[in-house]
Amino acid sequence: METPETSATEDGNDLGSSPGDSIWSRLGFDRFSALYVLVAFFIFFGITEDSFLMWNGSLEFVLTDKIVVLMLALAFLVPLTTEAFDLSIGAIAALALLIVNKIALETDLPQGLGALIAIGACLVIGWVNGFIVVKLRVNSFIATLGMSQVVAAIIRNIHDGGQINGELSKTYRSFGKGDIFAFDWPGTGSEIALPWYFLYGLIITVIVYYILEHTPTGRHMFATGGNPEAARLSGINTDRLTWGSLVGSAALAGFAGLVYSWKVGIYTTSFGAPLLFPAVAAVFFGASQLRGRPNVWGTVIAVYTLAFGIKGIGLRYPREISWIQPMFEGLTLLIAVAIASRQLIIKVQKRKIDKADLENGDDHTEANSA
Amino acid sequence: MGSLLKIHELTKIFPGQVALDEVDLEIETGSTHALVGQNGSGKSTLIKVLCGFHQPTGESSASYYPQSIMDTPSLDEPVELRLGDGKAAANAGIRFVHQDLGLVDSFNAIENISMGVGYTKRFGGAIDWRADRKRAEEGLATLGFPDIDVNIPVGLLAPSQKTAVAIARALHDWDKGASLLVLDEPTASLPGADVERLFTAVRRLQEKGVAILYVSHHLDEVFEIADTATILRDGKRIATLPINELNHDKMIELMIGHTLVKRQQASREFIGSEKGLIIQGLTGGTLAGIDLHVEPGEIVGVAGIMGSGREMLVPLITGQTPSDQGAVAVDGLQIQNYSPKSAINAGMAFLSADRYSQGVIAIQSVRNNLTLSDVRRNWNSFKLDHKAEKVEADQWIEKLDVKTPTSETPIGSLSGGNQQKVLFGRSLRLEPSVLVLDEPTRGIDVGAKEEIHQLVDQASKDNAAVLVASTDTDELVRLSHRVVVMVNGQISEELTGDQMTVENIERAQLQSQEQKTKVGAHGNA
Repeated sequence: METPETSATEDGNDLGSSPGDSIWSRLGFDRFSALYVLVAFFIFFGITEDSFLMWNGSLEFVLTDKIVVLMLALAFLVPLTTEAFDLSIGAIAALALLIVNKIALETDLPQGLGALIAIGACLVIGWVNGFIVVKLRVNSFIATLGMSQVVAAIIRNIHDGGQINGELSKTYRSFGKGDIFAFDWPGTGSEIALPWYFLYGLIITVIVYYILEHTPTGRHMFATGGNPEAARLSGINTDRLTWGSLVGSAALAGFAGLVYSWKVGIYTTSFGAPLLFPAVAAVFFGASQLRGRPNVWGTVIAVYTLAFGIKGIGLRYPREISWIQPMFEGLTLLIAVAIASRQLIIKVQKRKIDKADLENGDDHTEANSA
Repeated sequence: MGSLLKIHELTKIFPGQVALDEVDLEIETGSTHALVGQNGSGKSTLIKVLCGFHQPTGESSASYYPQSIMDTPSLDEPVELRLGDGKAAANAGIRFVHQDLGLVDSFNAIENISMGVGYTKRFGGAIDWRADRKRAEEGLATLGFPDIDVNIPVGLLAPSQKTAVAIARALHDWDKGASLLVLDEPTASLPGADVERLFTAVRRLQEKGVAILYVSHHLDEVFEIADTATILRDGKRIATLPINELNHDKMIELMIGHTLVKRQQASREFIGSEKGLIIQGLTGGTLAGIDLHVEPGEIVGVAGIMGSGREMLVPLITGQTPSDQGAVAVDGLQIQNYSPKSAINAGMAFLSADRYSQGVIAIQSVRNNLTLSDVRRNWNSFKLDHKAEKVEADQWIEKLDVKTPTSETPIGSLSGGNQQKVLFGRSLRLEPSVLVLDEPTRGIDVGAKEEIHQLVDQASKDNAAVLVASTDTDELVRLSHRVVVMVNGQISEELTGDQMTVENIERAQLQSQEQKTKVGAHGNA
């Protein structure tokens, strides 16, 4: 029943399909900026640092070393889709690593069973996180911050600081650390190899991606994060999803601990909580990529862009890297979130305008001028 | 009465769209001037240029006649007003109350008013709360709201009271020359009875001689409160007329450019089916035990003022709010473990009153919003078939005539009417046996409103039992086969056929209110 004139006005509102006329958006710079940065790192450090492009110089190291961070980043990402923050993931990963070592050191249980017990303990903590957030209605930020301290206390109770070497068996370690493949790169004499845990990490990444983007459950999770009440009224069990995502998060964090147990083996106090930051940074950096919201592949790209950047800087400035690394990570997080909030601000403005049922033309300009 | 503000040939061009096309507007001193038009007609752009949010395009000019209501007589010399300059507008005595009010819900009225206008400081910079309290209380009393508790967070106040706080803040210095109050959709989120309370405040301002520019979708309000109306359509001023030269139909015609065909339901016999929606003894909140049966194919309207229980009915039926007592059955089966999920599984679909906070997921696409209640439909037992989902979304977009560039556009960027159509799609897609609607066209313009009404008609033709709770009495008359009126948490009256008129419904709502008052008086004596 609308007049043709009205239709014309409303058609003028083509925000969603805003055709990317600028060179920036045509190159996808707004969506793939991290990839461009990654390529820039490869070109710059590849030219300036001889060992950067060598397999055993930095490629293998970065690819495998960052699986732990990637798992923690996914652990942070999963509950974030339902708008729940899990700050206890670092502590949970440390707990898993400690339990594996402790069981190996003090019992005769098979070490594989020890790993399962470790994961079980992580699931319990994730369940309690969920209980506090869903049933007690404590803000997830506070709940998991508190839980991370509780877990830290449990860790200290089990063990007094310093490192603990469970002398994990070769069988156990090779389950994760053994090579999937290994061959000599012709002409260079350097061996190309990737460990199994790299493959496990990849598989888990694909599974998380599949669940979030290709199942109704994933859709429901993002809906819960987008507007919990609207999601609940659409028949979605938002409480169960939030709860489940916190349990899943703890499982992923526990797996990060296991990866470390295969890779390095020894529990040290430096593992765990300090890894929270790079994981969170990667998720938010990743959220500015591809889809403009937290997503798996954006997170993967972010983890490796940061890692290769730090590696390159480390090669170039080996002495300064100790302070450059946190500076680099910190600035990346700030810049990424600043960009993301700018997009969010635009969205919020749009929503406000919509809420006021204002004219569509206004939306149009704000989106273009912002 | 002389002129207060004159705007001459105001034009605003956005890339690809002329929002305002040489619009003239003249507001008289002390008048209440309504600005009406559909979404996209330019009225909000005009307000935004006036308050300095947008800059006008090209040669526009405006002038105002400085005056102080309290003492000095108006000057005869107009002063130029620079459009698109918020400060200049403020100096000219123009005050704004925007639709979202801009209040901080967790602050009380004193803090909210002080926050906007500056705290009264004592020696040493400490806030003089006593002076601020006085200012708040006096401001609210002047508006006819002396009963507002200035100590409690404004989030706990009734919607009309919140609007009063916002007006008090805007007009805190009216004795120093505020002469024009712009009210932008002040009733968009107000329940019916609260609108009346707000009008008492507006009338007080009229008595004080404050001119008001009143922007609203609700034409009834315009006729009740305004003395002049300017109608915009597609950025052009169509007419400025004294209100007594207009009527409802004439105004709609000017707004949409053609006449609107009025429809009403054919009368319908109660067939005594055991299917549809059956509510027994439903109790909770302000609802004190309701029995109601809506048959398949029937549309039952629910009327009632705020606090009558009408506003609780839909949340309780849908499981949004847990009920204390009672049962709801869909097609003869009682719903167990009541929750929105179990209600949907039982064959119910519903739309909540607050589209923004309870309906749409603003940042997600039209497609995701449309399929939310049953995402699984496009699950091909291996993965979500995004392609099939897109095809389905496109079909619904066409069927519901949703104005959106693509199915992937964030729903938040659509107009309210189009958002509501998508939410209708979300419900109708479930092919529900029971459709429950709360304020289905609140904040939606006239054209889209009729389209939504036709969707409701169609749902009933498809044999759904439809329940519509609304504060819009015209809407109830337009849609319903019968209307039940709620008072004190119970159904006080049922109106059908010729009895079902706007006058009768409103009388039933208010008459019962009088009885209630009488009973109360009796009880006190």
